[in-house]
Amino acid sequence: MDKLSEKYLRPKKIPSTACSGCGLGQVHKRVLLAMDELGLNVHDVVWGTGIGCAGRQTFNTWKGDNFAGTHGRVYALAAGLRMALPREKKIVLTVGDGDAFGIGLKHLLHCARRNLDMTVIVADNFGYQSTGGQFGLTTPPGSVTDSSPYGLGETGWLGPELDILEILKAAGATFLARHLSLDGKASVENVKRALLNPGFSLVHFIYPCLTHFGAVSLSERDKGKVITWFKGLFEPGAENPDLERLNRRVDPGFLKLKRGLYVDASGSRADYSQSLKDWTKNLNRDGPDPVGTGQGAKK
Amino acid sequence: MRKVFDTGNAAITEAAILAGLNFYSGYPITPATEIAENMSRRLPMAGGYYLQAEDETAAFHMAVGAAMGGMRAMTSTSGPGYVLYADPYGWAIGSEIPVVILNAQRVGPVSGITGAPGQGEFYLSRYPTHGGNFETIVLAPEGVRDAFELTIEAFRLAERFRTPVTVLADQLVTDGWEAFEVPEDAFELERLGLPLPKRKAHQGPDFYPRSDGIDIPPVVLGRGTGGACSDWTPTEEGYDTEEIEAQMKHSYRLIYKIRNNRQLIDRSVLTRMEDDPPVVLVSYGSPSRVVRKAVKEGRAKGLRVGAISLKSLWPFQDALFKKDKIHLVVELNHDGQLVREVQRASGGRVHFLGRCGELPTVSELLEIARSLFGGGRPRPIKNVREAW
Repeated sequence: MDKLSEKYLRPKKIPSTACSGCGLGQVHKRVLLAMDELGLNVHDVVWGTGIGCAGRQTFNTWKGDNFAGTHGRVYALAAGLRMALPREKKIVLTVGDGDAFGIGLKHLLHCARRNLDMTVIVADNFGYQSTGGQFGLTTPPGSVTDSSPYGLGETGWLGPELDILEILKAAGATFLARHLSLDGKASVENVKRALLNPGFSLVHFIYPCLTHFGAVSLSERDKGKVITWFKGLFEPGAENPDLERLNRRVDPGFLKLKRGLYVDASGSRADYSQSLKDWTKNLNRDGPDPVGTGQGAKK
Repeated sequence: MRKVFDTGNAAITEAAILAGLNFYSGYPITPATEIAENMSRRLPMAGGYYLQAEDETAAFHMAVGAAMGGMRAMTSTSGPGYVLYADPYGWAIGSEIPVVILNAQRVGPVSGITGAPGQGEFYLSRYPTHGGNFETIVLAPEGVRDAFELTIEAFRLAERFRTPVTVLADQLVTDGWEAFEVPEDAFELERLGLPLPKRKAHQGPDFYPRSDGIDIPPVVLGRGTGGACSDWTPTEEGYDTEEIEAQMKHSYRLIYKIRNNRQLIDRSVLTRMEDDPPVVLVSYGSPSRVVRKAVKEGRAKGLRVGAISLKSLWPFQDALFKKDKIHLVVELNHDGQLVREVQRASGGRVHFLGRCGELPTVSELLEIARSLFGGGRPRPIKNVREAW
């Protein structure tokens, strides 16, 4: 255990039960680094998780208070919890791509619309990997997976024409960023900004899965080779001698992802949970009947 | 006490606020919409928060989330929304989060008839989610006054048992207008046990005790206790586990904390049962009002009938039903739900009268009851419905 995990994580949950070579630990570490640099303590954060690799592997790793929601609904749970928590407590959610962009997208969008103060870390491994490697909402087009044996024909949420972060931006999210799990300081800086935004923040981390996506879609389990391929998602010009071989079962047209900060509108819009609290506190309780029922609001 | 003439929806709203409600989330649906409307008007006045959700799944999750943060929370709906609660209902059962649900039953299946009474969620309220290994607590008001009292009781039971409690009403109860009494001063509030004591937070480290014990404070997040709530099988401390042994202990707790303390839940009204009548009418909800009137009239005409009106449905009150009686079960559906439980519990002769969207009449209840004396069978009525 390093210093960071000693400070923030539960010894019982270390080492993680993630597969060898999984990039999820890197994502987790970026978040902890950001917290450390901001000087956050264990009791400053309530940590929620979803279902799937990202949720199960991170649940109750946090030394403070934890919850794991039903699949795709952790955003609605967090919305209710937000009303019960004081402003200074932060809610951090680590969820997977299926949880956030598939089953939970509706609730996620409504949290963005209300600009509820929470930081959603989407740890994206390009599909449903904990169930054995089915394609998901961010799996590259053309990918051969266990549920797209002839190659994925459906359009997902990730590509040059259709980007889930643009949808979240339109829905009102006030902080959005995208990184590869290998990104160092830049990603930590963006997680810090996300944590400081008093509204809805989401950081999309793409991380390599060797066990399923690597092995099946790229036909490659070598960590270094898979990582080089993942780097190429963001840097189309990057040298990769194996590119042609690895791309036999995915669509190379995919390689145009924008990296880093997408939206930083921190503080530009009120967090609805806070405005509802303020409004309720300042409500004129002796005022006239608001709806004219004759019953009177106060009764 | 102040006498108020209002709807069941208003009574439920006032009762919840008196009980100390902090948070309500809902989604408009007939015939429970007025609860949401009343909450939006009244709850802010009491310092609570009204949040209108994007759908019923979110509404219940939000209520559970608020309750997980230490608030007293509730949601309300009708059948089409109640079925969408399946997901958070199970979560709240497993994580042992106290929350109250009001279901104003209408006529099904699916959207059915919106503004008429039905009783189609009797079994759904027993099995509101998947997976088994739990008991549910369900209360059933038969009028506005009951709705007021049972709503308060639902909050009390939810907290004591650390579980969601459904108040299973019907459209006549929620939309009906009746007089009920509201406490006016501190003394009257106290006499009703109101407002309920502040919610307590479990301090850990064993958040999920392997016992049937009640009155254990629920897990509350955000208080620095290191508590954990999840959909997984929990260890005592709240870690997720795949151990069968832990799962068995968890199931034991979820089932037996309710079964072994059922005396706090069981509620019924027995009418003219003192002389051991051979024919007993069984019902819950608004039909109970007609049933009791029928018993009264039947007795006046020399028919030795009695009635069991259930005010709590789950856990089912098996002990009320005797094999040597002839039971006539009256409920607001055509498929017969309560009747199956009565048949199982009594093991004797059980007949069924189903109506939906409207109440049966006193005269038809009496006619059927009369036919049951001396080993008779009821004449199939209308549409040739063969009685059980």
